[in-house]
Amino acid sequence: MNDVAQAQGSESAAPIIRSGQVPGVLVFIIADMIVFCMLFVGFMTERMGQTALFDQSAATLDVRMGVFNTLILVTSGLCVVLAVHAAHAGRREATRRWLLVSFLIGAGFGVTKLLEYSAKIELGITMHTNDFYMFYYALTGAHFLHFIGGMIALAVLWFMVGREPLDGRLAGLVESGALYWHMVDLLWIFIFPMLYLLGPR
Amino acid sequence: MNTAVRPIHSGQAPTDPVVAPDPHVLRAVLSNAAYFRYWRACAAMGPVFLAAFLICWGALGHNIPPIPADHTAAQMGEFFRTHYNEVRAGMAGAMLFGVLYLPWTLSITKVMEWINPRENNIVTTLQMWGGGLTVVPLVTSSVFWLTGSYRPDVLSDITLQMLYDQGWLLIDMFYAITTIPMVAIGVAGLADQRARPLFPRWACWYSIWAGISFLFELLMPFFKSGLFARQGWLNFWVEFLVWFIYILVITYYVFKAIPRLEQERAALLSKA
Repeated sequence: MNDVAQAQGSESAAPIIRSGQVPGVLVFIIADMIVFCMLFVGFMTERMGQTALFDQSAATLDVRMGVFNTLILVTSGLCVVLAVHAAHAGRREATRRWLLVSFLIGAGFGVTKLLEYSAKIELGITMHTNDFYMFYYALTGAHFLHFIGGMIALAVLWFMVGREPLDGRLAGLVESGALYWHMVDLLWIFIFPMLYLLGPR
Repeated sequence: MNTAVRPIHSGQAPTDPVVAPDPHVLRAVLSNAAYFRYWRACAAMGPVFLAAFLICWGALGHNIPPIPADHTAAQMGEFFRTHYNEVRAGMAGAMLFGVLYLPWTLSITKVMEWINPRENNIVTTLQMWGGGLTVVPLVTSSVFWLTGSYRPDVLSDITLQMLYDQGWLLIDMFYAITTIPMVAIGVAGLADQRARPLFPRWACWYSIWAGISFLFELLMPFFKSGLFARQGWLNFWVEFLVWFIYILVITYYVFKAIPRLEQERAALLSKA
């Protein structure tokens, strides 16, 4: 059954209603964001006491790599929005396609982060180098774990959409996964300027 | 076991289809009063554990907040030689009340068995084992602090520091055993097909998030000061508060679930 036919079928059938999963996952996201906000406040507080050290350390980070990662995540986020639209329209193939594209583009973030980490470690820069790098590794590391979780969620959703009926429950799951993926974007949009752009270069 | 399978003799294929009996939660052998006896008592052990643990482990044991990891061995020795009686009493109490986490866990298990009684019980079993085994780091870590307070007059400062560190490293780094039941409750609760789930979705997601948030403890052994150290605002204040709130939230919904399950089971008994 092609996408158009599926969409027509879904329009004639009962409309896909949003399940109760979306408000629930917001609790997870809000709780996570609160902890990250606390980390951001911690970073800024430490920065106020050691401005020169933080500026000097921040200048060693590769801004181009940060910009590239931002573009990757935002583009991947756009694709997941299209996947949600397709899911709510009952278009299975389009939902899977956009989830896959979102996953593949998102994977680029993992590759660039690993390159960035390995370059830093080769230079002997670790969490213990100074307080800036403690925050650098902690913030980007915690974000990276969230990224891995998001990639797993996208992959699981891709399999589920292929195997299960695309009803309101599954569309709600796709939307929940998309919300989580947007949180990964949003966190990076805070982390990137704080770590890479603050201070003179 | 949930499935009763007819014995298969060698070389002979079964002719009858294998019939899975009703899960035991649906069996109408016991009256409702007998079936739900002790559930509330077990659920109440959660807040009792929390209150007692805060008093014994926290206040008497001087673990709220912990002695900073960047204090010297001499400072640690001085602490034990000054407060040894409080620490002894606190740790003895922590070891006594720490085991209440087990009956509390069982009350959650009993409610979870009703979420999807016709599906397999892997998640429920994981919750029960994970919650039950959480008693191990709670009690075992207390032994280290108790040992330090037992002969502080003859133990060296370095030994006392090591015992204190060991207690904290155990209770913080064994977080994953507590993460398992927290995630299991959330996963099972989200699968609840009731119009009004036994555990609301926000509580399920909170439980999952809280369990996963313990991952920050991974960084605890690398720091003696700052937010990731054992006394740090993230790895101590935030993480322990998140755990305490989880205990209260889940207890509340277990108490809310029990009367609903009594009604559900009574309806099933009346049909039988």
